Amino acid sequence: MKISINLTINGRSCQAEVEPRNTLLEVLRNNFYLTGTKEGCGLGDCGTCIVLVNGKPVNSCLMLAVDAQGSQVITIEGLASGDNLHPLQQSFIEKGAVQCGFCSPAMILSAKSLLDTIPEPSDEEIKRALSGVLCRCGSYKKIIEAVRAAVGKTREGN
Amino acid sequence: MKLNYVGKPVLRLDAKEKVTGQAVYSVDIDLPGMLHGAVLRSPFAHAEIIDIDGSAARSVAGVRAVVTGKDFPYTFGPMIKDQPFLACGKVRYVGEPVAAVAADTESAAQEAIEKIKVNYRELAAVFDPQEAARKTAPLIHEDLENYSRSPVFTIVPGTNICTSSSYRLGNPDKGFVEADAVFEDEFYVHAVAHTPMETHAAVAQYQSAKGVYVIWSATDGPYRRCKELAQALGIPLNKVRFISTYSGGGFGGKGALVAESLAVVLARFTDGRPVRVHFLREEELTASQTRIAALIKLKTGVKKEGTLIARRAEIFWDNGAYASKAPEVSVRGALSIFGPYRIPNLEIISKLVYTNKEISGAYRGYGTPQTAFACEVQMDIIAEKLGIDPLQIRLKNAFVEGDSYINGQILQNVGVTETLEKAAGGIDWGKPRSKGSGTKARGRGIATIIKGTKTPTESKCVIKMDSDASVTVISSVVEVGAGQKTIMAQIAADAIGVPLEFISIPNADTQHTPYDFGQTSSRTTYHMGNAICAAGLELRKRILHIAGDILKTDPSKLSVSDGKIIEESKGERMALQEVLAKKFGGPGGAIVAEGSYCPSDSHMLNASPGLKSMSSIFWTFATQAVEVEVDTGTGVVKVLEVAAAHDVGRAINPMSCEQQIEGSVVMGVSNALFEEFRLDKGRVMNDTLADYKIATIMDLPKTTPILVESYHAEGPFGAKGVGEPAAAPIGPAISNAIFDALGIRIKELPITPEKVLEALRKKKKE
Amino acid sequence: MKRLKTFNYFEPSTLWEAMEILAEQGDEALPLAGGTDLLVRMKRGDVHPASLVNLKRIKGLNQIIGEPGNGVTIGALASLAAVENSPRICSGFPVLTQAIRVLGIPSIRNLGTLGGNIGRASPAADSVPALIVLNAVVTVQGAQVKKEIKIEDFFLGPGKTILSTGEIITAVRLPEQPSRSGAVYLKLGRRAGAECALVGVAALIELSGRDNELKSARIALSAVSPAPLRAKKVEEILLSGPLTEVRAKEAARVALEVSCPLTDMRASGNYRREMSEVLAFRAIRSAYQIAKGGEVQN
Repeated sequence: MKISINLTINGRSCQAEVEPRNTLLEVLRNNFYLTGTKEGCGLGDCGTCIVLVNGKPVNSCLMLAVDAQGSQVITIEGLASGDNLHPLQQSFIEKGAVQCGFCSPAMILSAKSLLDTIPEPSDEEIKRALSGVLCRCGSYKKIIEAVRAAVGKTREGN
Repeated sequence: MKLNYVGKPVLRLDAKEKVTGQAVYSVDIDLPGMLHGAVLRSPFAHAEIIDIDGSAARSVAGVRAVVTGKDFPYTFGPMIKDQPFLACGKVRYVGEPVAAVAADTESAAQEAIEKIKVNYRELAAVFDPQEAARKTAPLIHEDLENYSRSPVFTIVPGTNICTSSSYRLGNPDKGFVEADAVFEDEFYVHAVAHTPMETHAAVAQYQSAKGVYVIWSATDGPYRRCKELAQALGIPLNKVRFISTYSGGGFGGKGALVAESLAVVLARFTDGRPVRVHFLREEELTASQTRIAALIKLKTGVKKEGTLIARRAEIFWDNGAYASKAPEVSVRGALSIFGPYRIPNLEIISKLVYTNKEISGAYRGYGTPQTAFACEVQMDIIAEKLGIDPLQIRLKNAFVEGDSYINGQILQNVGVTETLEKAAGGIDWGKPRSKGSGTKARGRGIATIIKGTKTPTESKCVIKMDSDASVTVISSVVEVGAGQKTIMAQIAADAIGVPLEFISIPNADTQHTPYDFGQTSSRTTYHMGNAICAAGLELRKRILHIAGDILKTDPSKLSVSDGKIIEESKGERMALQEVLAKKFGGPGGAIVAEGSYCPSDSHMLNASPGLKSMSSIFWTFATQAVEVEVDTGTGVVKVLEVAAAHDVGRAINPMSCEQQIEGSVVMGVSNALFEEFRLDKGRVMNDTLADYKIATIMDLPKTTPILVESYHAEGPFGAKGVGEPAAAPIGPAISNAIFDALGIRIKELPITPEKVLEALRKKKKE
Repeated sequence: MKRLKTFNYFEPSTLWEAMEILAEQGDEALPLAGGTDLLVRMKRGDVHPASLVNLKRIKGLNQIIGEPGNGVTIGALASLAAVENSPRICSGFPVLTQAIRVLGIPSIRNLGTLGGNIGRASPAADSVPALIVLNAVVTVQGAQVKKEIKIEDFFLGPGKTILSTGEIITAVRLPEQPSRSGAVYLKLGRRAGAECALVGVAALIELSGRDNELKSARIALSAVSPAPLRAKKVEEILLSGPLTEVRAKEAARVALEVSCPLTDMRASGNYRREMSEVLAFRAIRSAYQIAKGGEVQN
């Protein structure tokens, strides 16, 4: 049984034929070739599959694609505008917050959502917002510094 | 040579790809016609396979191959060739691959493996290494003596002991008699998982007309895997091609054939269609590899003023079902039990034992996290008994420049004292501080370690400069996440004399990129750095020769810096691009230089007769000092602050060094406090990241990385290494800090709240 | 990673339609709310529903409505994040916000629902102790029935509620939290983030106005019994006289006595029992301090 879904991904209208059992993560990676979003566990424990749905971070491995019908989805590929990196992408590079990089897309998107709602978060708020993304390389310290460095540089809707 | 990049915190060259989602990891490789693999695994810890019926699996729509051990009866192993691609005849751990399926979709493959019927006859299993070492234990590898293996490792035939080693220096018995005090303690360090965020994955393709296997993977040592696979299959090295991708973390866990061997098996039977095997998180946790659990008995004799004079160590290492790299860890890693200390009389007896559990092998630290726990907790036990400050007793015994290592190698560039002083200073050691209040108690602890690198190993590279002066460094360095490629680019740019932007470092591909031992043992900066330096300097020489020709000047009066040719007392003469354009003109051309480094002839390795193999071309030292807070009501331990001082020789990229140090502090805290395999008859019960807990960002202590530079005489620009040592000191430092806070001594890892409360209860009774 | 197996999929747009389908499908169908629990169990092979009935297209099930002074009704399909961040909940029922804040991780809370967290009936559910001390009432609807059940009577055991096949939770109603009261939820885990509670304790203390005498006390424990429980015996001790440290310790001791936790891969039964006493004491003390308007001491 296939269901047609229409959604906006990174600002573009998209359509896909999906089975009810396909997760948003599978559809993003396999139907739309957006492989920047990762699957680290498939069970919502690691956070590497986090994308923004209507501005909010969700574990796309636990969201059925049919539930994304009509939604605005932002993946890591949607942050830069052309050659201009999003301030968070820039600060992650500059602060050395990227080691193996597998968690970077999820960390950046989670941070973007935070800064879009709380423009000047405390360290506690930064940590809580990113608490669902595991980083085994242990880049947490520099990730917090990178988020702090982007404060004031992002605008909602970026 | 002007250093524009070496020593500077150059931004990671791979970061942009990673923050934009463009970086291709092994899990992202997608090829035309690619199939998906799934693996059926043993539910028993030890059992005979009676028969396997894959017929129902074959009839699932989309299934292209169903394979069992009988179809592919080869074995592999980097040190002892004991591991089948798919179980043959018996299974030795819960999770061992028994059959595999390749299908059009992941769903079809997963559905198909459920339909494979296997009949087992359960055998008695053994889970404890001391028990497994006994002659009465069930034999896990009956054929151990007939396995081909590296002659370096001694097995005990007819037992489960797959590596037995010992080393002795001086006269420990005499030392104990002469000691003023003798300490005997037993320690235990548990197995932990690597849990990289990217689980193991590989794509393999078998090109039957050429007899070639091509494998895409994030393995940290493409050439070594290539050799292991080629040897297993009895085919030439150039019939196995490893193509590297970015790695989503390895930490030693991708230093073996894991997903690769399963992808290869399936690829053999899919008529040339590539097959991807991507481990489920459950498979990474239960059926890949773990750190080697160790039981350590440590006896140390000291003089009353704190000088160590004798030590005897006995270590039981728990190998799990197959050897992997554990033999080397149990021999080389074991030697770090003596710490960075002068001990004139010493002995170690080390036994690596098979058990019916998940394979254990290489893990960040390669034995030092285990040995350091024992060594450094006992140092504090000794210090306390003798009434000496824990920092002072370490300073007293620590190696200094010119000391002999345990095999007679003269130690140079010894930064341990500086790491001790700086780490201690970093948390205000010795200064008054809050001891906590109410149910919260605070304490400080310190631990120091020594870590060598596998010696000798080789790195080779080729550097080509194209006619527009753009440079490609052709090497087998894999970007495992630690910034290796950036460091290589920095070294190349400065060695040649060009801007960093000129440098490109493509991924390793054993068909094209020359030999390298791999990203392991913290060796890359040193070994590949030296090779790249050599090639870069050679390239520079050729550039200047060409420039001399073009400018009609003596090349010895020329230099190249920042992509410009400079003449002595005349200044900038010409841009490099222009020189090459004039040289090569319309037809084009390139300059190629090769570089190679292997330390085997270095006089720095000289040692007592017959003991040179124990030398290391560089020794790194690290000290971590921590402050913890213990909730005496719940037993929960919180690490508040860590000062981590590491002797890196020379920081080629200080930011990368910080990343490694900060990162491994997090990993070490996580290993010591949160991580534990919960087993039920050999089956791992906590097989998800919800229940196998690793540190989150909320668990981050205040971390201060401190770089100590002792300038290695033969390292590139003085560099040594940093990645591996860092995970070792934190475990013992935490245990020591808990003692400082509460007077309770925890001699095993992990340190759980239950153990803390139990120890408090015992202390109250005394 | 693990792929879901195929299932029949229904997307009813009204509650009535949903009830009909569930009644018709019987045990073969499971309702799908946020999916953060159900989809995990399906991937792990713990449940194999032939059909999923997606409740999220039904309008009106996710709202949080209620004027101050009149209590609040939370739609079962309200996301946990919506409940956590609702100004009405933050100001009127801060213990619920506090509990949800430590439930899972932010991205899971954006998907998961309050109804789902309750319906899953995990003995360690974070929202439930807070709901118990807040006197929550659960609205349940089926094809033939609509009923209201006190949350403390809702659970029968691990993963088991009083729901019959075809019935779903549609709302949770909270009466206004008493003035002069303070409530807190304490959760014990191993690491600081993303934990399943080893022990959870919620306490609500209402002052009477006379010194340390209490007007009411509600204590709830989770993860130490087959279902989250309201510890009435603990409350009795607290109400038996003025609240002193001694009485609070005595009450906390009773929390240990009423808890009967299992040993599982997360923790031993003994540790959990002991911790129920430690956390109960701390929760009672904190709730009392909040009621008095003072600084919460750790």
